[in-house]
Amino acid sequence: MDALSRRDALVRTGLGIGWLGASGLLAGTAAADSVGPAAPRSLAPRPPHFAARARAVIHLFANGGPSHLDTFDRKTALEKYAGQEVPGRLPTERRTGAALPSPFAFARHGDSGLEISDLFPAVARHADRLLVVRSMHADVPNHEPSLMLMNCGDGRLVRPAAGAWVTYGLGTENQNLPGFVAMCPGGYPIKGTENWRSAFLPGAYQGTYVDTRKKTVEELVEHVRHPVLDRATQRRQLDLTATLDRDHLAARPHDPQLEARLASMELAWRMQAEASEAFDVTREPKHVRERYGDDVQGRQMLIARRLVERGVRYVQVWHGEGQPWDSHEHIEKAHRKLAKECDQAIGALLDDLVGLGLLESTVVLWGGEFGRTPTIELPSPGNVTVASGRDHNHHGFTVWMAGGGVRGGTVYGATDELGFKAVEKPVHVHDLQATLLHLLGLDHTRLTYRHSGRDFRLTDVHGRVIHDWLA
Amino acid sequence: MVMPLPSLRRLRPSRIIPPAILLVAVIAAGPDTARAAEPAVASLADARAAETLFEQRVRPVLVSRCQGCHGTRVAEAGLRLDSRQALAKGGDSGPVIVPGDIAASRLVAAIRRTGDLAMPPDEPLPAAETEALEAWVAAGAPWPDSPAAPTALSDLPLPARIAMARADHWAFRPPERGTPPEIPPSIDPAVAAAWAGPIDRFVIAGIGAAGLSPSPEADPRQLHRRLWFDLVGLPPPADEADAFVAAPTEEAYRALVDRLLASPEHGEHWARKWLDLARYADTMGYAFANQDPRYPFAWTYRDWVVRALAADLPYDRFVTLQLAADRIEPAVDPANLAALGFLTVGRTFLGNTHDIIDDRIDLVTRGLMGLTVACARCHDHKYEPIGTADYYALHGVFASSRIPDALPVIGPAPPGPEAAVYATRLAELQAAIPAHEQAVQARGSREAVAHAADYFMETARPAPRNADNRPPRMADSYDLQQFLIERLAALVNRHDASHPVLGPWVALKGRPDAELGAAVRDLLAAWGEAPPATVVNPLVLAELRSSAPDSLRAVAEAYARMILRAAPEMAGGPAPGTDPDGMAEVRALLGAEGTPLVLAQAEAMRVATVAEQNEARKRRQDIVRHEAEAPGGPPKAMVLVDADQPHDSQILIRGNPGRPGDRVPRRVPEILGGRELPKATSGRLELARAVVAADNPLTARVIVNWVWTHHVGSGLVATPGDLGLRGEAPSHRALLDDLARRFIEEGGWSLRWLHREIVTSHVWRQSSATAAAAAAIDPDNRLLARANRRRLDWESFRDSLLTAAGTLSTTRRGGPGSDPLAKESADRRSLYTRLDRQDVPGTLRIFDLANPDTAVHVRQRTSVPQQSLAVLNAPLVVEAARRAAERSAREAGGDAPDDDRIGRLWRAVLSRDPTAGERITARAWLEHEREADAAGATDFDRWCRLAQALLATAELQFID
Repeated sequence: MDALSRRDALVRTGLGIGWLGASGLLAGTAAADSVGPAAPRSLAPRPPHFAARARAVIHLFANGGPSHLDTFDRKTALEKYAGQEVPGRLPTERRTGAALPSPFAFARHGDSGLEISDLFPAVARHADRLLVVRSMHADVPNHEPSLMLMNCGDGRLVRPAAGAWVTYGLGTENQNLPGFVAMCPGGYPIKGTENWRSAFLPGAYQGTYVDTRKKTVEELVEHVRHPVLDRATQRRQLDLTATLDRDHLAARPHDPQLEARLASMELAWRMQAEASEAFDVTREPKHVRERYGDDVQGRQMLIARRLVERGVRYVQVWHGEGQPWDSHEHIEKAHRKLAKECDQAIGALLDDLVGLGLLESTVVLWGGEFGRTPTIELPSPGNVTVASGRDHNHHGFTVWMAGGGVRGGTVYGATDELGFKAVEKPVHVHDLQATLLHLLGLDHTRLTYRHSGRDFRLTDVHGRVIHDWLA
Repeated sequence: MVMPLPSLRRLRPSRIIPPAILLVAVIAAGPDTARAAEPAVASLADARAAETLFEQRVRPVLVSRCQGCHGTRVAEAGLRLDSRQALAKGGDSGPVIVPGDIAASRLVAAIRRTGDLAMPPDEPLPAAETEALEAWVAAGAPWPDSPAAPTALSDLPLPARIAMARADHWAFRPPERGTPPEIPPSIDPAVAAAWAGPIDRFVIAGIGAAGLSPSPEADPRQLHRRLWFDLVGLPPPADEADAFVAAPTEEAYRALVDRLLASPEHGEHWARKWLDLARYADTMGYAFANQDPRYPFAWTYRDWVVRALAADLPYDRFVTLQLAADRIEPAVDPANLAALGFLTVGRTFLGNTHDIIDDRIDLVTRGLMGLTVACARCHDHKYEPIGTADYYALHGVFASSRIPDALPVIGPAPPGPEAAVYATRLAELQAAIPAHEQAVQARGSREAVAHAADYFMETARPAPRNADNRPPRMADSYDLQQFLIERLAALVNRHDASHPVLGPWVALKGRPDAELGAAVRDLLAAWGEAPPATVVNPLVLAELRSSAPDSLRAVAEAYARMILRAAPEMAGGPAPGTDPDGMAEVRALLGAEGTPLVLAQAEAMRVATVAEQNEARKRRQDIVRHEAEAPGGPPKAMVLVDADQPHDSQILIRGNPGRPGDRVPRRVPEILGGRELPKATSGRLELARAVVAADNPLTARVIVNWVWTHHVGSGLVATPGDLGLRGEAPSHRALLDDLARRFIEEGGWSLRWLHREIVTSHVWRQSSATAAAAAAIDPDNRLLARANRRRLDWESFRDSLLTAAGTLSTTRRGGPGSDPLAKESADRRSLYTRLDRQDVPGTLRIFDLANPDTAVHVRQRTSVPQQSLAVLNAPLVVEAARRAAERSAREAGGDAPDDDRIGRLWRAVLSRDPTAGERITARAWLEHEREADAAGATDFDRWCRLAQALLATAELQFID
C-alpha cells in the first residue's frame, strides 16, 4: 500500500491528534472578525475593524517618479560632490554618473521648519500639517512594477488596488456616487486601468475612471444623463417602469433581490442629479475656482474636494496621462513646469479641506511610485541625449501625508548622505499601505478576501503599521 | 491502542488566518530566551527525559485541548499556553502554574475540575492526559527549546498530509454511486412518487427533514422562459411560449429540451461561461510601447469552444484537446488545434515566463480540478496537501512548451480578392524581422570585435568593477555587454596555460604589467624556434613575436587583431580568402558566429540598443496589426507546442528565479497519484489524460458542480474552484458524487446528457415563488425547496435587448470580435465581443463581467446603482428601445390601433401579451405622453419611451 493511513501519518509525525483539534477551534473563532468571502457585495457603508481616524483618502499621484531631492529631501552633500563620482552609487534602471545638486532653492517653513524646495510654495504653506516620509523604498527601479506595488501591493501579479480594498472593507458613504474614483487627465497613466482594478474583488469595487481633461459632466461621468430625454419626461418614464415593477414584485413576495432592484432604480435616478452636481465645478463661485487655478489640475483638485465632501471614500488624482514626472532629462525645466501645474491646486485643496473641517477625517497622500537618483543620468542611444536629469530610484524616496490623523509638521526617516537609499527608519510601500488602512480603521491583516484557495490582502504577507505617524 | 480519529472537518485550519499570521505563530512558538519557567533539571539525562515527557505527552495535550482558546489567535482570559514565555507570564490573573508544586498550580486544579474553574470547558480530559500534565508540573514544567514546534498544518511533513487528505477528504476519493436517503413521511406521497428521478431523490429527503415541502412546478410560461435562458441564453419568441403554454406536456417539454440542446445558440451560451473559466480575452494585457497587445486569433479558440459544445464533444475529449491537441496521435484535424487557445489566451505579464506558467498551472489545476496548486509557488501549500515539488513538476510541463514563431493556419482564407494582397503583404512584413535581426547581429558583432581587447581585459579583472556593478562604458560610448564578458570569461576559464590559442592569455593575465614583457619573452623562449601547432597556434605565436607586448593591454590587443582577422565579414573581418595556418582553430574558438564575441543571429537581440528593440517591436507590431486589421487572412490557431528540448524545472525557493533549488521530475501532483510524465515530450498529453482519467476524483466533480451551479443558481459545492480541505463542504454530497459518477458511466462525459439530467429534474423545474415558511427556515435555499430567481448576466441582458430590438442576426456567428457597445455590433450576440483585458469597458465590469485574468467558475453578483443607471441611460438601451418601437410599428402596420402595437411591444420585450391591467396602464400613459410629444418634437417619441420603460423592468432582467 503506497498511501499512509491517517493513523500512521499521525503516529509518524509524533503529534498524535494534538494540533488537529486546535486548528478546528481556530476555524470556529476566526471567521467572525474578518471581512471574509461572505462579506456584502454592495457599496453600503460598513463599520471598520476599529475606530477610524480617517474616513476618506485623496491620493495625489505624481506619476513618473518625482525627485525627492528636488522637493522634500534636501541633500547639501550633492553640492559637495557636484560633478564627481559619488560613493555608494546604486544600480537603477539606467546608467548614471556624477552627483547632480538640486537646482532648486530650499527654505524652512512653518513652526516645524520643514525644508521644502521652491517648487511647492503653496504646499509649503501647510508645512505644519505635513508628515514627510523621507525613507520610502520600493522593490525595483521600473515604472510598471512600482506602480503596481504602490497601488495594488504587488509588482507583477493581478491584485486589487488599495482603493478597491478600502471600498470593499468600508463601502462608501454616498450611494449616489461611486465609492472609488480615479481621475487622470488626458488618458491613462502607465499600466492603465490596472492601477485601479478590483481584480478578483467584485467589479463594484473597481475605481471609476474619469478623464478630467474633459469639461462637461456628460463627458466626465458615464450614463449620467439620458442621451435624449429631459428630466421630467424621464421621470414619467421611470414612473411607468416602477408601476410595472411593483405589480411584478407583488406577485413575488419575500424576494429581497427584487426589492433591492426596485430601490436601485430610484437610487440611480437620484444619482444622475447628485453626480452631475458633484462633478460640475462651474457650480463653485468664481473666486474659488480661481484659487485652485482655472486649468486641468485646478479642476480635478476641486472635483476631488467636492467628492470627498459628498462622502466618496477613495479618490485618486493622477497628474496626467503616461508618466509626466519622469524627468530623465532637463529635470530643472521639467520639474519646474510640473510643480507649477499642480502646486496651487494642491495648496487650495488643503486650504479647503482645513476650512471645511474635512482634513481631520481625510488622509491626503502625495507621492510617486518611486523617487529619482542623486546622480545624473548619462546619455544613451534611444533614451536621453543630454545629461541633465535623474534616473528612477526605488532605494529611497519621499511621500507626504496630511490630515486623517497623521502627525503634521514631522519628518520621518531619512535617506543616506546623498539621498540614494533609505537608511533611517526605512518604510516599505507595504508599510505605507498598512498604515493607510490603519488610519481608516482597517487592520491590514484582517482585510482579506478568499480567492483561489487562500485569503488575499493588500499587503500580502508583509506590512507593518507605523504608529509613530499617528497624531 | 486505537487512537480516536478526529474528523477531517476539524482538520481544516482557520478560514481566514493569512499566511503571515501562521508565520508569526511559528516564530512565536520557537525557541525563546526567557527562562522564567526554567525547569529544575539536574543532568543531561534528566533534560532528555523532560523533553520526551513534554514532546510526547504534554505538548500534544496543550495543542489539542488548550491552544484553541489559549493560543495565537485567541487568548481567553489573557492566557496563552503555546510557549514557555507565555506560560510563565500566565493570564490576566497571573501565572497558572507553580513549577514543581501541583497543589499551588491553578492549571492542575482546572483540569482536575476541583476548583472554581473546570477546563477544558466542554468535557474533562482523559485520565492519561490529566496525569501527563500533572507529572509535567511536578517535574518543574520543563519546556524544552523546540524550533520545530508544530503549530501550523504546514509543519506536518507533506507525505503525511497527502496521505491523510487522500484517506479522509471526500473530494480526494473517487466519487461513487450513492443510495438516496429515505423520503420522510412528512412529504406528500404523490410528490414523493413524482420526485423519483435520481437527482430528485437526493434532494427531497433534506427538504422533508427540515419540515419543508418542495415547491410545485413553475408555471409553464415561467418554465419555458427559464429553459430558454438556461440552455441558449436568449428570451423565447412569444409564439413559441404561447404554443408551449397551450400544451405543456412532458413530451413537449422534453422535445424542447432536446431541440435547444442541439442548437448552435446553446453552444454560444455555454461557450461564454467556459470562456470565463478559460480567462479568455483578445489581448495580452499591458504591453510595451511599440508592441501591439492584440491577439488577432483568440477568436478561433472562442469559436472552437462554441462548436465543440454545440456538437457535444465529450468532456474528456474537450479537455484533452485544449491541453494537448498538438500531441494527439493520430494528428487531429487542424481545426482542432484552435483548442489550445485555452492555454495561450491568458495575460502575458510583459513576457515574464514564470508568471505565464503560473497562470497556466492555476488554470489547469484550479480551473479544471478545483485544486489550488498555484499557492505552492513559493512554499508548500499552507493548507492543502500540495508541495512546491508538485508545483514545479507542473512548471516543467509548461516550461517545456512554447508558442511557435509562426501560428498554424487552420482553414482557408475567406473567399475574395483580398486574400492574395493579404498574403503578399504578410510575407513582406515577416521577412522584415530576420532582416532586422541580421542588421543587429552585424552591428553588435562588429562593435564587440572592435572592442575585443576591452573584453579580454575584463576577463582578467578580479573584483566588481564599480559601484553599481554595471559593465563599463568605453570612451567611444560603447557599453560592454555583460553576457559577452561572461561568455568570454567562461571560455578562458575552461582552458589552462597549455592551450595553443588561449594558453598564453591564461598564463599572462594574472601578471603585473611590470613583469609582462619578461613573461612574454620567457614564453617565446620556451616555445623555441618552431613549436608545433599543438603547442602554440601559429597566429598567436606570430602576433606575440611581432608585437612583443610589454603590458597586459598590449597582449589583449594582440588577441584582438587576431580575432579581427578571423571574424566574418559582417563582424568587420576580411572578405573570404585564403586562410593562413592556424586560422581555422582561432576562428572556431573566437571568430565564428556564436563564439564569445561574434553573435549568432538568434542571440542578436540580446545586445540590441533601445532603438533597435523598438524597431524590432515595431516590426512585430506591424504583423499583428496586419493580421488583426487587414481583410483576407486565413484563421490561425493560438497553439502551444513542445519545446525542442523538454526539461524538468528546478524548484524556485520562495518563488524566486534567482534562487533555484532541486530539480523535480515532471509528474502529476502527488495527491493525484504522482505518476511521472514522459521525459521526451513536455508531458502535456499525459497530464491531460491524468486530468480526465476516470479515477481522477476531482475533474468530474468540478464540471458537474459547475454545470449545476449555472443551472440552479447555487452550487452543490459553494467554492467551485476549490474542492480541497479549505473548500466548502458540499450541500448534497451524495448527489454530487452520484451525478459525477453517472456523468462518466451513463453519460460518457456528455455535457448534453448532464444538462438534460438537470433541467428535466423536478428540483430544477420547481417554482421560484418563495413561501413564507421556506423563507424563514431556509432563506439561502441551501435545501433547494424552490428554484432560485436569477438576474441575467451581462451577455443575456444585452442579447435580450437586441432580441427585443429585432437586430440580432440568427445566422452570423463567429469570426473576429466586435465592440460590444457600438451600434454596428447590434446584430451580434454578446459572446462575440472583442475583449481587451487591459481595458474592460466600465459598463461590462459593472454588470459583473468575469475578470479575464483568472479562471472564473461563477461570476460574482453585485447589486449597485450604476447597473440601474445604465438601464436608464446607456446608449445601448436607448437604441434598443428605439428599434423595438420601430419594429412594433412596422409589424403592426401603419394605422393599426395602439392596442395592437402595445401587444407587439410586450411580446417582443417580455415574450408574452400584456395583462388587461397592463394594457390599461400603457394606454393611459401613452395618452398622457401624447401631449409631451405634441409640445416638443423629439425623435425619441412616446413609443420609444414606452419601449425603454419595458426594457427597464425587473421582469426583463430576472428569470423566475
